[in-house]
Amino acid sequence: MQITPENVSEGLRAAGYVANQRIDTAIFLALALDKPLLIEGPAGSGKTEVAKVVAAMLHTELIRLQCYEGLDEARALYEWNYQKQLLRLQADEHQGLRWEEVSEHLFSRDYLLERPLLRAILAPHRVVLLIDEVDKADQEFEAFMLELLSDFQVSIPELGTIRAHERPAVVLTSNRARELSEALRRRCLHLFIDFPSIDQERQIIELKVPELDARLAEQAARFVAALRKAGLKKPPSVAETLDWARALTRLGVRELEAASVRATLGLLLKHEDDRAKIESKVGSLIPHPLSR
Amino acid sequence: MIPMREQLLRFVDELRGGGVRISVAETIDAMRAVAAAGFEGGPLREALAASLVKDEADRPIFDRTYAQFFGRAHPAQPRRSDRRSGARTASGGPPQAGAGVAIRPLVEPEQSQPKLASRSKLRRLAEADQSRGTPRGDGDAEAKAAPGEKRSESRDAESVEARRQAQLAAIERAPFDHYSELDYETAHDLLAILIRRFRVRLGRRLKPARRGRIDFRRTIRAATQRGGALIDLRFRARRPRHIEVLILADISGSVRYAATLMLELVAGVRESFQRVHSFVFIDHLAEAGFEEGHLVMTPALDPYARSDFGRVLEELWERRGELLGPATLMIIMGDGRNNRRPARADLLADIAHRCRVVYWLNPEAAERWGTGDSAINQYARHVAALIPSRTLGELEHALIEAF
Repeated sequence: MQITPENVSEGLRAAGYVANQRIDTAIFLALALDKPLLIEGPAGSGKTEVAKVVAAMLHTELIRLQCYEGLDEARALYEWNYQKQLLRLQADEHQGLRWEEVSEHLFSRDYLLERPLLRAILAPHRVVLLIDEVDKADQEFEAFMLELLSDFQVSIPELGTIRAHERPAVVLTSNRARELSEALRRRCLHLFIDFPSIDQERQIIELKVPELDARLAEQAARFVAALRKAGLKKPPSVAETLDWARALTRLGVRELEAASVRATLGLLLKHEDDRAKIESKVGSLIPHPLSR
Repeated sequence: MIPMREQLLRFVDELRGGGVRISVAETIDAMRAVAAAGFEGGPLREALAASLVKDEADRPIFDRTYAQFFGRAHPAQPRRSDRRSGARTASGGPPQAGAGVAIRPLVEPEQSQPKLASRSKLRRLAEADQSRGTPRGDGDAEAKAAPGEKRSESRDAESVEARRQAQLAAIERAPFDHYSELDYETAHDLLAILIRRFRVRLGRRLKPARRGRIDFRRTIRAATQRGGALIDLRFRARRPRHIEVLILADISGSVRYAATLMLELVAGVRESFQRVHSFVFIDHLAEAGFEEGHLVMTPALDPYARSDFGRVLEELWERRGELLGPATLMIIMGDGRNNRRPARADLLADIAHRCRVVYWLNPEAAERWGTGDSAINQYARHVAALIPSRTLGELEHALIEAF
C-alpha cells in the first residue's frame, strides 16, 4: 500500500476505525517517517485498537507485547529452551559426538524460544509491533527497549547479530501509571487519544452495532458522554458502550427509559460506588431523543 | 514570504520559550513530518503536534503558540479535500481535543505571553556574549541526518535551554528567606520543570522488589532455565503504594514562599498517590487548593495574624481527625515559631502515632532552629525526621526523601 494521507484515512475507515484528523495524521506520519508512535489517553479510548487497525490496514500480522512489572528480556526477546536442549544433550551423548557438533545442535534456532520482540525482528515482511502499556514495565526494560527501537537488531551471543529485514511499524501505548523517560518520548511521535465526541461515538456505534436503531444510537452516545462527565471512578470505555448497545438490541429496547437503563447499567459501570451514584439520577441523565 | 524552514525554527524557538522541551532530533522530525504531511491547516498543525509535543500537558501551550504563529501567516483556508465528513473545520482543533483533559496548564497564559517576547529578546542579547559549548545530552543518532540544520538550530536551543538551566540552578540554591517577589515569580515559572523531574523520580519507584515475599512460581521457573542448579530469587511485585498525603503548611509571612511552592509541587504529582489533602495555616487551619495557578484557601486566613501551631493541631485533631490513618503520610512545613503560645507537642505525638509517618520540613536556616520563640525542638521529638528545606533544591530532596 502506498502511504499517503488519503490512503491512510481511507484505510482506517475501511478497517472500521472512526478517527479524526489528529489520529489520521499521526498514523500517517508514523508509517511515512518510520517512527514509533506513542499513544496516550484514558483507559478504553481506543489506543490498542489503533495498532490492530493499522495491522489490518497494512494486511499484515500484529505482534503484541503486553508489558507488566517485572517483564524482562527473557520474556520479551528470546530464551533458550532449556528442557529441549537437555533432552538433545542426552540423545547426543549416546552417539559419542564431539562437543563442537553438540553445541552446534544445542544453540541453533530450533532451541530458541522466540518472544514477541524477536519475532517482530525475524518476520520476513513488515509487521505491526504493539508494545502495550509500556508504562507498566520497569525503567530498566524501557532503557533496553530504547536500544532495540533505534536499530532493530539484537545480538544473541551463540548465534550472532540478527537484523530486521524490514523495520516493523511500532505502536506503544501508555496509561501514565508511571512517567515515561524523556528519551523514549523523544524517539516517538506522540498521539493523545481522548474519549470520542458524541458524534464520533454515534458513528462508532452505527459502524459496529448496525442493528441498533439510529435514533437510539444517538441517545446512547449522549447518555455515555453524560456518564463520563459525572466524575466516576471508572468512566465507561468505548468497548463498554458497544457492549451496552448490543445488549439494548438483544433486549429489544426501542426507547431509552429509566427502567431499561437501570437494568443494563452493569454493562457500563463496573464499580459499586459508581453504580450507586448514578442509579438514583438515571432519569435526569437520559437525553431526550432528537428529531433527526 | 519567509521560507517554511525558517518559520518552523522560529516556531520551535517560541515553544521552547514557553517551556516546552524540544530536542534537535525532534525539530528535524517536525520538518520531515511537515514535508510529508503538507503545509495546509489541519495536517500541518497535527504533524507539528505529533512530532513536537510529547506531553499532553504541553498541548495548550502548543495550540496557543500555533494560533499566534500560523494563525496570522496562514489565514484559515478552506480545506482542499473533504476527507472526513463533518469531522471539523480546517483551522479549529478537534472539538474534543483537550476539552476532557483535566490538566491545568502549568504556565499561565497571561503570564507566558509577554514573557515570550521578553525572553527571546533577552536571548538575542545573551547570545552575543554567551560562551558556547554547553554539552547537550540529547544529540541523537538521528540528529546527524541533517548537519546543516543542526548547527543553526542547536545554537538557538542552547541559548534558551542553557539560560533556563542557569536560572534554575541559581534559584534552586537561593534560600527562601532571601526571596524577593521577583525571585518567587522565577521559581514559580521553573516549577514546571521541577514537577516533571519529580514525577519521573516518583515513577521510578515502580520496580520489582529486591526483597520481600518470594514469588515461588517465578523463582522455580527461572531456576529450570539453569537446570535448577542455581537459584535466582524472584519476588512478588510490590503492591501499588497506597499512600494518602496530608500537607500542613505554614503560610505566615516568614515562610510563605516555601509553603506555596511546596504545595504547588505536590499538587503537580498528585496522581502518584491515592489521595492528597492540603492544608495551610497561620493561626487557624484552612483547606488549600489551586485554581489557575493561584493558591485558594477556605476559609480565608488573616495574613497579619501570628502563627499558632498548637491551635492548628487542635483543629486538625478535632475537625479532620478522619484524615489521619495508617496510610497517611503527613508533611508539615513550617519554622515552628509559635509566638510563645502553647506548643501542644503532645498532640503532635498523638497524631504521629495514628499516621504512617510524619515529616517536618523546616525552611529556616539550621543554626536558628530552637532559638527565640522557635518550638521546633519540642516538635522534632515526635516526627520521623526533621528535614531542612531552605532552598528549592533542598525542598525537592526533602520531598523525595519523604515520599
